[in-house]
Amino acid sequence: MTSEPPSARPDRHVPPGPKRKMPSMLKEPYQLVRRFAGSLSFKLSFYAGLIMFLALVAFVYQSIRSQERDLSAGMVREALKDSEVIKAAIWDGMMTKDRRVIREIVKAIGLGHGFEKIDIYDRNGLVRYSSHADPLRQDFKTEREPLLKEIGTNTLIRHRISEDGQWIHVVNPLVNTKSCSTAACHAHPENHKVLGALAIKFPLTEYRKEIYRNARNATGLAFALFVVISTCIGLAVIFLVNPSIKKLQENAGKVARGEYEPQEPSRGAGEMAELSRSFDAMSRHVHRRTTRLAESRRMYKSLFEEVPCYLTAVDRDYRIVRANRAFREQFGDLVGKHCFAGYKGLDSKCDDCPVEKTFADGLSHRSEHTWLLGIEKAYVIVDTAPIFDDEGNIAEVLEMSLDVTAMKQLQMELERKKQEYQYLFAKVPCYLTVINPDFEIGQTNTLFRRDFGDRVGQKCFKVYKNRDARCPNCPVEKTFADGLSHESEEVWRRNGEEAHVIVHTAPITDDEGKIISVIEMSTNITEVKRLQSELALLGETIAGMSHTIKNILSGLQGGVYVVDSGLERSKGERVRQGWSMVKRNVEKVSELVRGILYAAKEREPEYEECDPGRLLTEVCDLYEERAKAEGASLKRDFRPVMQPGPLDPAGFHSALSNLLSNALDACRGADAGGNLVTVSGRVEAGTLTVEVTDNGVGIPGEVRDKLFSKFYSTKGSKGTGLGLLMTRKVTEEHGGTIHVESEPGRGSRFVIEIPLKPAQEANGLRTAV
Amino acid sequence: MAKKILVVDDEPDMVTFLATLLEDNGYEIVTAADGEEAWEKVEAEKPDLISLDLLMPNKTGIKMFRELRKDKQTTDIPVVMVTGFGKDDVPQMDFKKWIQERAIRPPEAYIEKPVDKDVFLAEVKKALG
Repeated sequence: MTSEPPSARPDRHVPPGPKRKMPSMLKEPYQLVRRFAGSLSFKLSFYAGLIMFLALVAFVYQSIRSQERDLSAGMVREALKDSEVIKAAIWDGMMTKDRRVIREIVKAIGLGHGFEKIDIYDRNGLVRYSSHADPLRQDFKTEREPLLKEIGTNTLIRHRISEDGQWIHVVNPLVNTKSCSTAACHAHPENHKVLGALAIKFPLTEYRKEIYRNARNATGLAFALFVVISTCIGLAVIFLVNPSIKKLQENAGKVARGEYEPQEPSRGAGEMAELSRSFDAMSRHVHRRTTRLAESRRMYKSLFEEVPCYLTAVDRDYRIVRANRAFREQFGDLVGKHCFAGYKGLDSKCDDCPVEKTFADGLSHRSEHTWLLGIEKAYVIVDTAPIFDDEGNIAEVLEMSLDVTAMKQLQMELERKKQEYQYLFAKVPCYLTVINPDFEIGQTNTLFRRDFGDRVGQKCFKVYKNRDARCPNCPVEKTFADGLSHESEEVWRRNGEEAHVIVHTAPITDDEGKIISVIEMSTNITEVKRLQSELALLGETIAGMSHTIKNILSGLQGGVYVVDSGLERSKGERVRQGWSMVKRNVEKVSELVRGILYAAKEREPEYEECDPGRLLTEVCDLYEERAKAEGASLKRDFRPVMQPGPLDPAGFHSALSNLLSNALDACRGADAGGNLVTVSGRVEAGTLTVEVTDNGVGIPGEVRDKLFSKFYSTKGSKGTGLGLLMTRKVTEEHGGTIHVESEPGRGSRFVIEIPLKPAQEANGLRTAV
Repeated sequence: MAKKILVVDDEPDMVTFLATLLEDNGYEIVTAADGEEAWEKVEAEKPDLISLDLLMPNKTGIKMFRELRKDKQTTDIPVVMVTGFGKDDVPQMDFKKWIQERAIRPPEAYIEKPVDKDVFLAEVKKALG
């Protein structure tokens, strides 16, 4: 139980009294007294009055003391004067020797006003005359009275105030004079300077009474003054100071309770008004601070609750102290549980715990974690911050966890796309380059680097086309200009070879849509072009072949008709003519079919050791008759026996036949007479060279290039386009080469060169071709 | 009096066939193996009709045909074109188109190989009026 009732709160400045038990009936008055004693008005008036009172008392005391001194000095002067008078009076009696008279005078004076006792002593200390009793007594006081010592010698008038202050003693010595020493009466010796002494005792009672009265009056006045002053001060405090203080008290209470209302500023002058103003300013300040603090708290609370990430405060035991709404909605109410157990389902603290670090060093930490939310994997960024208590120790750690799964997934997707793009860029089977606005190559892909090398930073026109200036009709330039894709077909010449290329361009833009570079994709379509032209040739050849077949059919048909006609008319010559037509055309069909098969089918060459001279002779023999029929001479410029080598006799035979046939055809188209076909052959340094030369029509330059292509024929209805193709094929199967020298109108020369190698090696050659 | 027909073809079998066929059907026959020979025969023999092969060495059938049409003396001689080429075979050798483009009177008949003897005879008869 406390002795301090709630009502004592405003008087907090009064130190609480000793705690002791007291009857409850006394409690109320005691408290009242305490309150009164503690009040400012009481303290001020009481202590001020008390000081005034004590000052007055001190003054009065001092005043009485000085009055007393003055009075006693006056009394002494009075007594000394009286003693002189008495001495004079008794001196006359002595002179007259009338002791009685002296006695009477002493008595009479002694009875007078203001004397207590008059004694006259002789120099031996005997009382000779007294106003009270019989003289000649040995007054004991002479022994004790200090004034009476050395009475016989001391010539000084002396006095003393009694110890109790009631009396004043005066001793006036009776000094020996000439009249005394010479008087006859009792003759005092001359050497006695002092004859005796007059001792007078005056009472001090009256004047003491006066002093006491004065003192009493002064004390009364002081007390009255004390009362009046105290009352005045008390009242002044009560009426002038207390209301202001009370108001301040009330306001202070309000401020303390947070109920501050703005006050009209105090307009008065003086300390109280100043105090009030100061207090008001202070209250306003406190109110502002309090309001701001409250606002901050509300904001913090709202922020804590509403922030769209998981917020928890964790204590040193890793227990959740608070959690915000997002956290509660995701994980439920886990306050009081361990943070690692709560949403991570662990039995102990996580490795690399940022909360632990923050507790250790008081700094914020950031880390990335992977949580399992149900069955979903979540990527979370965790930030920690210390929360300090009043003494600056880390009480809790605030843990902010932001779920960045969506972002992370996007990031991963982006990364994947980037990799795909890079893979595509690198592996796409065409040349890829990124060209900057200065027409310099930025990035290149694998195929480009393989064929062109690392040409980053060089001008595209230099790299691709070996030009020194930009190409006309540049698709990259167009894309830079209009931001659209462009396409162009171009021919590149590199290392002496021609390449047909289709170039596609596409813009690469930055975030603002500005074209920063152009991607150039170049697809080599040389092979396609080649196939295309081969297809066209094939078309022509098929047309030519169908023409040949039609001719053969017509020949057969004609032959059959002529035979029929001969039989009908019994004309033997006509039958024979028709029959030879039939035979000739059947032979033509066979030859055509053989040619087609040779060109279309992969024939297996069969090598055997044979003499090229023998093969050449065989073929020449075969065409001898035809040459003669067509009016041409066939010249053999080779030895019939030559160095044998590994040859495919069937293939070689066909190839040579074809060349001879062609030569004869060329001659047939030329002027009749003087046509010459020369077949020469030799083996030098292991190489077989066969030349077939004619002086026929010759071959124009543009035809020469296509000569060895598939299905190319110069002979219109007569050719199949298969002959030279087959010849080339056979030559290459033998690891050799074929070429042609020709001049239109003068003739042509076909040259075959075949290296002669051992048979096994030659068989291996086949696979290499 | 039998009509005289000039058969021009570089293929001897074709000449033999057409000549025999026409001879058997009562026509008088003159033959030529190429353009130059044919032109000589035209001037010498004044044929009533010419069977002309389109593709030949030494002055092709096309050239021959053009000169025949241009020459006032020969422009009225009916011509039967015999060829192994159809327009489907080689588009760039479309003879009919070539004729149209040059505003030349087309040949009276156009026979593709292999020659159907009845069609050929009918066309020849028709061309001779």
